[in-house]
Amino acid sequence: MGEAIVVTSGKGGVGKTTTTANLGTALALQGKKVCLIDTDIGLRNLDVVLGLENRIIYDLVDVVEGRCRVGQALVKDKRFEDRLFLLPAAQTADKLAVSPEQMKELVTELKREYDYILIDCPAGIEQGYQNAVAGADRAIVVTTPEISAVRDADRIIGLLEQEENIEPPKLIINRIKRHLMDSGEALDVNEITTHLSIDLLGIVMDDENVISSSNKGEPVVLNPANRAATGYRNIARRILGESVPLMSMDEQKKGFFGKLKSLFSK
Amino acid sequence: MTQVTKKQLVMIKGTKSGLVLRLDDQCAYSELISELEQKVRDEALEGTTEIQLHLGNRFCTDEQVKELINCVQKSPHLRVTKVQSDVIRVEECNRLIRESQSETYVGIVRSGQVLKAEGDLVIIGDVNPNGKAIANGNIFVLGRLKGIAHAGAGGNHDAVIAASWLEATHLMIADKVETMTDELTVLSERPEMECAYIHRNGFIAIDRLQELRILRPNLSTFKGGS
Repeated sequence: MGEAIVVTSGKGGVGKTTTTANLGTALALQGKKVCLIDTDIGLRNLDVVLGLENRIIYDLVDVVEGRCRVGQALVKDKRFEDRLFLLPAAQTADKLAVSPEQMKELVTELKREYDYILIDCPAGIEQGYQNAVAGADRAIVVTTPEISAVRDADRIIGLLEQEENIEPPKLIINRIKRHLMDSGEALDVNEITTHLSIDLLGIVMDDENVISSSNKGEPVVLNPANRAATGYRNIARRILGESVPLMSMDEQKKGFFGKLKSLFSK
Repeated sequence: MTQVTKKQLVMIKGTKSGLVLRLDDQCAYSELISELEQKVRDEALEGTTEIQLHLGNRFCTDEQVKELINCVQKSPHLRVTKVQSDVIRVEECNRLIRESQSETYVGIVRSGQVLKAEGDLVIIGDVNPNGKAIANGNIFVLGRLKGIAHAGAGGNHDAVIAASWLEATHLMIADKVETMTDELTVLSERPEMECAYIHRNGFIAIDRLQELRILRPNLSTFKGGS
């Protein structure tokens, strides 16, 4: 029996979809069988980030309305043999096309076959959110070091804490710009975690390659040298239960120079 | 039989602050009201006299109390200032108990969450921005108050808000509202151990927690000791 993890944030544009794609990929790299579900019906894009857009035949709405079996709708990521699958959202329906009960049923069915089900939640706290959390056992809240994102994260944590079947949510701080944190212009990691007072699952540094690789349909986590990828890989290991020390932003810098040095010494 | 009829159902006593009408609490209500009507008619009074009604152990509904007051005030010279009774309803009693009790919440009041208490409210944890704590009594936050707090929501102007860290966006006490903008001169750099209360000037003021002892001496319910 697998575990279903919902990735949510409240605010839009903080990196839920990118996080879902990268964590799913990282877990598949660790040898787990992973299924990603895009619940952002009407505004799907997890398929684009994974580069699976043109392989979609059926979608989530087709499954819940019985037009196909789950297995037919799942899109396999060929880079990972039989370990990474995507259940895409419908683009032509809206969030009301699926009910929380239907989602719960679907997730329970998928849990039998997969180790991890990652559910990409749409922004907001309406029906789409209700659908996304319905079948989840764990929750990951993504935020960025911006007050607006932290406020919305606080709201969503409050809602998640009221869900009886979900473990206390964990936090990912995404898009950390080191120089802004150092200068005190952005909230620092400590401030955010004390304000939200939930466990920190990991931090991800801001990196331009995240955007370019998303555009290419290759999750950045596939490139182990990338600093954002390291963040995602660490988080995936923590999800698997390993205790990985939080990468300090200083070490990150050393690592960067270290890499430069090793480049020159070759 | 003659004794019963002679028994006075309405006793009149004069005090410094006016007349006290002590109403018998054993007789029928109808008897009482008819005697009361007679008594207030009998009085040959001038000017206005203030009247206190003591109901003793008789329970009167709100309508009955109103009727009694109207009955007395039929006389243009009498004005009822106070109605006192030794008995109250169980619900009323429970409400008073609840309002005098304090409720404790352990955890964080997050954005969008509202916490309500009928009496005092003790929050062990933070109140985050857009989180709201409402109490008919006082609010004590053992943590950071960064959201909204409304003390004395039932209209108690003496209610206070105290917090280990008072950085609220809005403070409300009874019907007063204060938005904590930067223009406010009372805001301190480190808002540690502070309290908010309604100042004599009618506005919400913020002071050090230690001042509460002087500002609201009745807050302390601790009896005895040295």
